[in-house]
Amino acid sequence: MKKQKIKNPLRRRIPRELRGDWKKYLVVSLFLILTIGFVSGMYVANESMMTAADKGVIKYKLEDGHFELESKADAKEKYELNDSDFQPVPVTVYENFYRNEDEDNNNDGETDGTVRVYAKTEDINLACVLDGRLPEAENEIAIDRMHADNVGVQIGDTITVGKKEWEVVGLIAYVNYSTLHEKNTDFMFDALKFNVAMVTDDGFAELEKPIHYAYAWRYNHAPADEKEEKKLSDDFLKALLTQTVASGNEIKDYLPAYANQAIHFATDDMGSDEAMGGVLLDILIVIIAFIFAVTISNTIMKESKTIGTLRASGYTRGELTRHYLAMPVIVTFFAAAVGNLLGYTVFKNVVVSMYYNSYSLPAYETVWNPTAFLKTTIIPLLLMFVVNLAVIFAKMRHTPLQFLRQDLKKNNRKKAIRLPHWKFFSRFRLRIIFQNMPNYLILFSGIFFVCVMLSMAIGMPDTLEYYKDNAKDMMFAKYQYVLKSYEGNDGKPVTTAAENAEIFAMKSLQKKSDSFAEEISVYGIADDSRYVKIDGLEDSGQNEVYISNSFAEKYGISAGDTVSLEEKYENKKYDFKVAGLYDKSLNIAVFMPIKQFRTAFDLKEDEFTGYLSGAKITDISEDNIATVITERDITKMCDQLDHSMGSYMQYFQVLCILLSAVMIYLLTKIIIEKNENAISMAKILGYENSEIARLYLLSTSIVFIVADLLGIFLGSFVMSEAWKMIMTDYSGWFTFVMNPWGYAKMFLFVLIGYLFVLGFDFRRIEKIPLDKALKNAE
Amino acid sequence: MSEQEKKFLDIVDLKKSFGSGDTKQDVLRGMNFSVAKGEFCVLLGPSGSGKSTLLNIIGGIDSADSGYISISGDKLKELGEKKLTQYRRRHLGYVFQQYNLIGNLNVKENIEVGAYLSDNPLDIDDLLHTLDLYEHRHKLPNQLSGGQQQRVSIGRAIVKNPDILLCDEPTGALDYTTSKEILKLIEDINRKYKNTVIMVTHNEAIKGMADHIIKLRDGIVRKNESNPNKISASELEW
Repeated sequence: MKKQKIKNPLRRRIPRELRGDWKKYLVVSLFLILTIGFVSGMYVANESMMTAADKGVIKYKLEDGHFELESKADAKEKYELNDSDFQPVPVTVYENFYRNEDEDNNNDGETDGTVRVYAKTEDINLACVLDGRLPEAENEIAIDRMHADNVGVQIGDTITVGKKEWEVVGLIAYVNYSTLHEKNTDFMFDALKFNVAMVTDDGFAELEKPIHYAYAWRYNHAPADEKEEKKLSDDFLKALLTQTVASGNEIKDYLPAYANQAIHFATDDMGSDEAMGGVLLDILIVIIAFIFAVTISNTIMKESKTIGTLRASGYTRGELTRHYLAMPVIVTFFAAAVGNLLGYTVFKNVVVSMYYNSYSLPAYETVWNPTAFLKTTIIPLLLMFVVNLAVIFAKMRHTPLQFLRQDLKKNNRKKAIRLPHWKFFSRFRLRIIFQNMPNYLILFSGIFFVCVMLSMAIGMPDTLEYYKDNAKDMMFAKYQYVLKSYEGNDGKPVTTAAENAEIFAMKSLQKKSDSFAEEISVYGIADDSRYVKIDGLEDSGQNEVYISNSFAEKYGISAGDTVSLEEKYENKKYDFKVAGLYDKSLNIAVFMPIKQFRTAFDLKEDEFTGYLSGAKITDISEDNIATVITERDITKMCDQLDHSMGSYMQYFQVLCILLSAVMIYLLTKIIIEKNENAISMAKILGYENSEIARLYLLSTSIVFIVADLLGIFLGSFVMSEAWKMIMTDYSGWFTFVMNPWGYAKMFLFVLIGYLFVLGFDFRRIEKIPLDKALKNAE
Repeated sequence: MSEQEKKFLDIVDLKKSFGSGDTKQDVLRGMNFSVAKGEFCVLLGPSGSGKSTLLNIIGGIDSADSGYISISGDKLKELGEKKLTQYRRRHLGYVFQQYNLIGNLNVKENIEVGAYLSDNPLDIDDLLHTLDLYEHRHKLPNQLSGGQQQRVSIGRAIVKNPDILLCDEPTGALDYTTSKEILKLIEDINRKYKNTVIMVTHNEAIKGMADHIIKLRDGIVRKNESNPNKISASELEW
């Protein structure tokens, strides 16, 4: 009787296999779901935030750049920035004045930080109101949302700014302060001690600190790309210089939007998070894919005779390949679907809250992200498909007869490897290790990957801690007073009676690389300095300098090399020969005798920049002081990094323990399953469970310990190199440091995962029945 | 019976050796015989006589060094790998000493594994009754006795109604009573579905139920004879 073509009955094995080994698939699925979910959430959150930021450029009238003048520009100076010597750049210039005031956010009389106060405007650099409203009355203030969160200020609270109390009526995100960078040269923003705020015009007038005459500009014709934007900015700078020089003014700061960290840091960081998340996901998927591949490979070995029978009956290679390929693809597809669902809901909110914890971003709407779909669904599926296809395809190349004879080993060794004359148990263990080498190699890859992540999770806080602990030692002096001018109003040099105060000179130059122009602090040091002690400094010849270790490490410079530095706003270049290194500075800095400094930069004979002092200087008028650099300036980056990422590093450490446990669980499960018959036979021969565990688990333990130690060594090395690469794109430099306890922690964290699994493995050995070896394969 | 039906399976000067040089071992040393369509043929011989190798070559899962096998006039050695697979799919059913069932499929599903390969499979429920497995159709292999498992493997082979059923020591792992039951089943199937059955065995007693007996030794055919006194499997004694 003719029957309708039936569906492939092998398909029914898949749900049964899932049910039969549900623990394994649950672990793998959860792992994939959480990873895919988090990365998907990251992509969705980033895309949504980026879209909000892009929309904000127009909506909140983001500047194309800003500059600051020494004194207020007159109308002509502001609006006629054309000159016959250069290509005119049509721009619209807006006043964007601010004052840097002291902030006391808990009204205890102590200054908690600096708040940059702007007057309310409708023209340029507007703010998104995230809670409350904009100020309307003279005593009302709206402050940065993230700073408020960090210091615990809420709507309705009163804070002291300058000498006056203000009512906080709104929490805002200024479009040009997505990160709270006080200075563009700061390595890291500071949302704890720095704030931006908006008050009414009347409120602004009541503040007392000097006004910073900042002007924002927007191009009348938007540049097509970053290259054109850069050119426009260069042309505009030339125009501005000519204009200001002609009108006797001076440019104190010039910053096009594309170079403004406060505008781009967040979006760049989100972009790099996305890239890193994508790579981490790919690596994890490849590891899971290999775990699947090893599992399938073992299943194929186990089902070899059945496969041989099916092949002999007429099943094609393709049919069986598809059958074995289905499981990893289905599991990945399921995980990707659930992961993405969670990515668009739970994890997106997690990532958004992480970003809101670090950045002052405007309100956003969730948007569909096709890249997230590609990265978290298509690519994982493809990786899983390709890795498993390769392994299954290689297995399926065997003939039906080879399957029937279980002759699937690539190199069927005719002779066993000769082992040293060790005790029986040791030789047995060595054989187990050789027999399971592919599994152990994957175990090592997994542990190595976990160690790279652990290096970051443990090394990052260690590095910050080290940097903070050593900041004091690395500062030349507790205080660096930078004066507005070395001469006071009376035309005489500003002096101090403070004990131990000594003059220094300083200038900012740039070191340009292909991608980046880094600000370098060039110091002129007084003879016999008590703060900067460099042997041979005073004897250095003209154009000979000492550079900080950080400078040397970052740019690979050593004594005898020549460094070229350039003026920021002028077309001047200086070449210095490096006479030696100075290891007491965390800055990217250059040191030379102050006399040489004056000659090199055409300064007057007695000119200097300020004072280095071990104690606070009280006899210099605040009017003469431009800024004071304290230890706080050095450590604020660490505090911010610690605040933004510290708690996540703790989670990350836990995640790494879980990850290592999952991988070890899956791989040791495979090893024991593969040896079930041998273990069963050992039981029949009279071996006790503890003896069998000593054979099989100790072999794995030995490999594990070697893999763990090697993983720590290689993982921290990779992290250290990756850190250098990351730092190259940032201002400043600090090396990756991990203290010895950090290495021990790495070892212990992976060990915790292993010990956790060891218990399961012992129970698994106990459960293997004695008759396993005697039963038929089916 | 036409000449072509008489030479349904034709084996001509078949040679096969394993190894090379000093370790070279001639397993088949020029084998010639034919099997007629619908015949129950038993290949008898001691271990190392080459009977399993011969069966594997007939089954298209091994190849000869020289000579050829033709089935209905088609020479196997002229078929590429894909066509060989199709040949096995369409024309052959395999039963081995070990049952090689799929552990997480039940009895009926294991038989469906074979049915899937055919465009015109037998009715599975009918077959389950024939195999005396209908009551056990929802059981998994590990819930069955060895004889029942072998019945399932026969069902899997026969469900696609193959032209040739190749049985390699199908009773080798079974006790006397179960072996006889299995042989009876193969006999019934041969009668009912008219398949050509080629069974490899070292059990001399089984030759009694065959239409055609071929005795092998040292890679050559020692005896090739018809069995005019064929008896039923249930009458076999050993």
